Amino acid sequence: MTDLFVDSYPKQARVVRSAFLTAYIALGIGALFGVLQALHRTDILRLVESPTYYTILTGHGVFLVITFTIFFLVGLYQWAVTDSLGRGPVDMRLTWAWYGLMSSGTLLAAIAILAGFLDDPPTVLGSELSADVLFTFYAPLQANPIFYVGLVLFVVGTWLAGADWFRTWWSWKQENPDARIPLPTFMVLTTMIMWYISSIGVAVSILAFILPWSLGLTGSLNPTLTRTLFWYFGHPVVYFWLLPAYLLWYTVLPKLSGGRLFSDPLARVVFILFILLSTPVGIHHQYLDPGISDGFKFIVMTNTMFLLLPSFLTAFTVVASMEHGARQRGGDGYFNWLQALPWRDPAFTGMSLAGVVFAFGGFTGIVNAGMNINYLVHNSLWVPGHIHTQVGTAVALTFMAGSYWLVPQLTGNRLVGRDVALVQVVLWFVGIVFMTNSMYRGGLIGIPRRSAEPQYDFDYEIAVGSIPEIRAQLAIGGVLLFVSAMLFLVLILLTAFNDDSEPIVDGTIPPALSGPEDSPRVLDDLRVWIAIALVLVAIAYAFPLANIVSRGGLFGPDIGPFPVVVETVASVLSTTDTGMYLEALVETES
Amino acid sequence: MRTSPAKLLILIAILLVIVVELRTVLAFFDVELTVLQGIAVGIVGIALLLVWAFSPLFSESDQ
Ligand code: HEM
Ligand SMILES: [Cu+2]
Repeated sequence: MTDLFVDSYPKQARVVRSAFLTAYIALGIGALFGVLQALHRTDILRLVESPTYYTILTGHGVFLVITFTIFFLVGLYQWAVTDSLGRGPVDMRLTWAWYGLMSSGTLLAAIAILAGFLDDPPTVLGSELSADVLFTFYAPLQANPIFYVGLVLFVVGTWLAGADWFRTWWSWKQENPDARIPLPTFMVLTTMIMWYISSIGVAVSILAFILPWSLGLTGSLNPTLTRTLFWYFGHPVVYFWLLPAYLLWYTVLPKLSGGRLFSDPLARVVFILFILLSTPVGIHHQYLDPGISDGFKFIVMTNTMFLLLPSFLTAFTVVASMEHGARQRGGDGYFNWLQALPWRDPAFTGMSLAGVVFAFGGFTGIVNAGMNINYLVHNSLWVPGHIHTQVGTAVALTFMAGSYWLVPQLTGNRLVGRDVALVQVVLWFVGIVFMTNSMYRGGLIGIPRRSAEPQYDFDYEIAVGSIPEIRAQLAIGGVLLFVSAMLFLVLILLTAFNDDSEPIVDGTIPPALSGPEDSPRVLDDLRVWIAIALVLVAIAYAFPLANIVSRGGLFGPDIGPFPVVVETVASVLSTTDTGMYLEALVETES
Repeated sequence: MRTSPAKLLILIAILLVIVVELRTVLAFFDVELTVLQGIAVGIVGIALLLVWAFSPLFSESDQ
């Protein structure tokens, strides 16, 4: 057994712990909001008025897919770079600076969102403090400027984090001029390249259009343009969530299985493919958007299908590594080796179950990606079904399972309640299947997503079961997930305070069966991949963007912010459900 | 015992998952199970798993 991470790198361990702590807090609030939604939508328990549902929904989205995932990512990546390069950052002040920026950004955005709970929110920067715009913040929905400022600080923080890791790698390279980039660091650097290329889109969207508009500096904007910029970033961001999970699957999972990674070169190829293919596909979220020609959408659909390749490669490599591990542990036969895997270990079992759910969710992703069949599921409950199998489980469950392995190394404390932890990950697995199965089924018959009141009085053409049954199943799944999330947080908390104990965990990652020397050096030449990626982006986006701008104008065809038009609309619609929501919105306005 | 408690727990979880998803899949072939039938299949399945895990008949073949 080697030295623990916290003993070798106490300063870096502190940063990682802080990042994880922020992530866990976000997970706790997000899970609470999740179960509130599940019970509210299904009309089982309503603790808030329906208009407040959208405050909760915004919080759920932002805290889980921005705060929880990305704070975990920066913590994990800080660990990965430090551990695999065997050295800390060049200057720890930069490290704390990005952590500080990300945290203050989060705090600002959170204040703006949570102000939605107030009956009488204060006026800040010229408008009411609120941000009920959901995590996609589509214009003309408008939030208080504080929300956007928070997002910008957060994103700039992640940019600095990337710069920090590049700098660390660079000075390592000066000392090791001929060495290949260690795999975990390679994964970190490639993820960040993808992130730089894509997050520029959302930065432009906010800084050039949405923020000035929310401050009243510009009178209008072009919603198609801001949406397109958002989704230019919005597809790669799903890989920003996923790649840290991949890092754990490629490095930690084979080790936990008792073996070694099958192929290091294949892992490198996969991460490079994500740089190249993840950015030119964002328009597949906009199949139903008017103002973008079908031809572009068709090209994007084709690109998207290519994106399946790296995920299939991953499934192959990771399962092969697990089988190798199982055979090292004495497993044999065609399928009997499965029994030899360490199922009692919550870190292993959690990651494996997450992988199973990911495979299943991947197929539902193919449905979303198909231009024609997308029309069936678009904006229906199917989509949150997909979201929860992918980021909500493949990523979130992997992060929780990974925590059971990492937190002891970061604190020097033994994991509390290993068997309870196993129950926790299994509970998440069952809960997610209950919840997402009902979401998929509900979506197929047209139940809308993002709605506090989805049970309008028309008869759905139900294919399987009945509407009350779908609702009950959704609620049961949501409650199981909530219980599981709370169990996780309690175990981590107890572990953090489990001071006088020795962890039983071995942090060494064995080398791959087929190492980097089996692959051409060009894989490590990051400049090549950046250049190709930029060309692909230009090809995919130059025409659609030019089209959108020439049609709608840079600053748009006079689109005002959404709440301004509400008063008139609400009086027209006051008899309908939508009208009631809008009216309630106006009430909170005044 | 034929298997370990951890594996038994996971097998039960997988069984529940299969029951939930299979009900949907079967409906595409016009085989519609009611909720109660689904629950019944689940209970019988779990019972069989438990019998398999604990029955002395099987433990002879324990490795
Ligand atoms: C306690 C566990 C959870 C429960 C009970 C839960 C429940 C829900 C429900 C019912 C919705 C649909 C709301 C609607 O469309 O009206 C939803 C949406 C969503 N959930 Fe969760 N969820 C949970 C965990 C997670 C996790 C772990 C993630 C990601 C890491 C996540 C990400 C999302 C996202 C991105 C949406 C869509 C938000 C939007 O449409 O703006 N959820 N959740
Ligand atoms: Cu996408």
